[in-house]
Amino acid sequence: MTLLVGISAKRGQTRFQMPRFSLSPRIIPPSLIVALVGLPVFAAVLTGLTAGDGATWDHILQNRLIPYTLTTLSVLFITAIVMLGLAVPVAWLITQYDFPGRAVFSWAMILPLAMPGYVMAYAWADLMGVAGPLQSWIRESTGLSARDYWFPNLFSASGLAFVLATTLFPYVYIIARAAFSMQSRASIEAARSLGARPFDLFWRVSLPVALPAILGGLCLALMEAAADYGAADFLGIQTLGVGIIRSWQSFGEPNTAARLALMLILIAGAFLIAARIFQGRRGTQQTSSRWQSQERAKLSPLFGFCASAACSSILLVCFAAPVFRLVWLALENSASAADLAPLIRSTLLLGALGAAMAFASAIIFSLSSKRSAALQVATRLIAAAGYAAPGAVLGLGALYILRETGQALSGSVAIGFLVWIYVSRFTSAGVEPIQASLARLPKNLDLAAQSLGSTGLRQFLRVDLPLIAPGAFAAALILFVEILKELPATLMLRPFGWDTLAVRAHAYATDERLAQATLPSLLIVLAGLAPVLLLSWRLGQTERT
Amino acid sequence: MIKTLKTLTGLSLLIGAVAACSNPAETTTDEATAEPQKVLTIYSSRHYDSDKALYAMFEAETGARLDVREAGASQLLETMKAEGDQSPADIIIAADAGSLWRFKDAGLTQALESAALATAVPATYRASDNQWYGIARRIRGIAYDPSRWDASELSTWDTLTQEDKAGEICVRSSSNIYNLSLMGEIIHRYGEESAQDWATAIVSNMARNPQGGDTDQIRAIAAGECSIAIVNHYYWIRLGASDSEADQQVAASTSFLIPEFVEGSGSHVNITGLAVAKTADNLQLAEEFAAFLLTENGQSYITRDTKELPLLASTPLPDGVDRVPTFTPSDTHLDVYGENQADAQRLFDLAGWN
Repeated sequence: MTLLVGISAKRGQTRFQMPRFSLSPRIIPPSLIVALVGLPVFAAVLTGLTAGDGATWDHILQNRLIPYTLTTLSVLFITAIVMLGLAVPVAWLITQYDFPGRAVFSWAMILPLAMPGYVMAYAWADLMGVAGPLQSWIRESTGLSARDYWFPNLFSASGLAFVLATTLFPYVYIIARAAFSMQSRASIEAARSLGARPFDLFWRVSLPVALPAILGGLCLALMEAAADYGAADFLGIQTLGVGIIRSWQSFGEPNTAARLALMLILIAGAFLIAARIFQGRRGTQQTSSRWQSQERAKLSPLFGFCASAACSSILLVCFAAPVFRLVWLALENSASAADLAPLIRSTLLLGALGAAMAFASAIIFSLSSKRSAALQVATRLIAAAGYAAPGAVLGLGALYILRETGQALSGSVAIGFLVWIYVSRFTSAGVEPIQASLARLPKNLDLAAQSLGSTGLRQFLRVDLPLIAPGAFAAALILFVEILKELPATLMLRPFGWDTLAVRAHAYATDERLAQATLPSLLIVLAGLAPVLLLSWRLGQTERT
Repeated sequence: MIKTLKTLTGLSLLIGAVAACSNPAETTTDEATAEPQKVLTIYSSRHYDSDKALYAMFEAETGARLDVREAGASQLLETMKAEGDQSPADIIIAADAGSLWRFKDAGLTQALESAALATAVPATYRASDNQWYGIARRIRGIAYDPSRWDASELSTWDTLTQEDKAGEICVRSSSNIYNLSLMGEIIHRYGEESAQDWATAIVSNMARNPQGGDTDQIRAIAAGECSIAIVNHYYWIRLGASDSEADQQVAASTSFLIPEFVEGSGSHVNITGLAVAKTADNLQLAEEFAAFLLTENGQSYITRDTKELPLLASTPLPDGVDRVPTFTPSDTHLDVYGENQADAQRLFDLAGWN
């Protein structure tokens, strides 16, 4: 690692600065946000723990808790492997090499983010199911019956992991791409001049430097995967997310559901802490001022073709095929487009409102905890608790709070609660990209600002904010897309007449009218595309400058 | 960036203001009319487009306005609990007797005493204390491959546990309310131990892990993955009535029958039903609405898209539903489904029925 032009810094050292935030007014905004973000989770879990054991709890504890947890962990493990396998090599190829279509793949790889996990599950279940086009074709062309041949089973833990990984890998890709392209040019050049071959360059120089950031992205994607209910339920996989909803709906015990959610939150917390420990050990501070991305090497025609083919296949599987299948289904069944305008309006309004609030919360969160490692861990853990809790559990928490207020769930009260849950659920998705930007800033910049007398709010506005602008922009767009796709909390808390596209798609899908569900599903993807493309464009910009 | 931040904040405040003022459902009442418009708030776990047409008809007929909240039954239940006395709910509509029982059990409903409704709805299909009324019937039965089985080989639910059915059964997850209610009646008839044995035997005869919805099970028969599927009648009917040719073929290549528990016991029947919320403030309007659903017109709208069976005997069957074989309903009271629901899930879990 001597090749690296950088200072190795253990982030853990900063924890000795803890007294800095005691009784300082600086602690007020983050405390408020922590309360805001944490309260719904806290309300749900606390009610779950204090409400006394229902008859179901014993049954869950004795017979179901371990299978649920093991299934969840194995799904997450496979999801992680698939996401890393897709995102890291692609990011490396795109940042380091020139090959046909590179510029298009560079932004197109983010498109799957617009696809909600449950829609991906509908589309792939239809494509891969025993009655779907692929298997029907096999039977027709071979004359075999469904029992005579082997076909990959989507309705399995690995099938669920595949569906989750294909929608969530762009998180890892975005971060890996940024990490690879923001690496100091000097280190790569030094390694090249010392005769490092491309594989060594990747494995021994770039990857170790990028790994902490990549793990952060992986962590975020895994938390989102852990909170999934829609895809797991549709594919019939007994994850904790499914167990939570089953405790509530079949057993009629929302308290047991909230207790189970605690298990998910613990898993998410463990991920975060593990990633944090790893980042602390391996993290590097870069001081080289030569940030420009290095010259990209041109691949030979054969390798160039292979790289294009690999990227095209990934896009086909993760985006094009499921979208085309949905379009096909919509056309085949002449799905009607009536009454969609109000759905689009409420989807966009709620998305914009929720994203704005969650964004503000994420900004305050990240910046105010920036200088204290302990505060940083605490705020990230609380945000993670919201992110890893299924939307339905947060919705339950909101209902418990609503009960205390003695209000009806309608009009502005309902919108207020819904936006609150968006903030609680998604702040983490905003905090991570912002903190990734912050972590990349050289430490001496902070010290320089302070030595020039720029502290507190002033430093925030004059120094920090402009510097983290790219990360913050990415955060805002990610939040908007996430909220567009959100289903369970919206379903529970939306006021009268505020159906969203996701709510409508879900209503059709639960009635097993997938053909009718295609149109609202496609519209969610379409609505998500604009911000995703904007995000891609912007990320491209920041890399070039 | 600071500008962006300010813009975002401004934008969000603006959106909030617009959102607060422009609740699309809350159209302002005409100030000229002396009487404020009557409002009936419905919490429904159904999501059919034909329901919307039905609501519009009621609005046109009575001049009342309907506010409808659609969500899952469990979510509506928790919402009502959280809202307490403040809940705007007047009417609860749920697609299963077990769900209606939950609302009643939580003390969220009130009895609706109406001679007209009592005549229209047979005693089995309403709560013994009139806390809920059925508005349409749904039958859980067996779709099968007629080239493989004769209907007489599948005449009771017990026949599915026989050894010759090994590897032949497709069914969805146990947490589905239709499976829970069926299991609820089996528990009621034979006790927990036998019910668990039944479920265990079904699990060992399954062709694949439980997955997808009822329609997927019927499609799996046509594809040859299994030859027996436990499904509600209307999914099979809807495949036949579908615009898609592939779906019509699936329906044509399968048959549907309604098994009994033992010969002569009658068959498992479920309902979509309605209850009046405890918080209902306009009981007369609520009763009018219930009565409206049980007119021939109301009944044909309720069942038109869903392909359920009308409750009112005089209503003509929706298109395609005449393919459902005749059956004798079981005399088990439907309250049993809700009472046994948690036990049903527990026994399914123990039997390994995912």
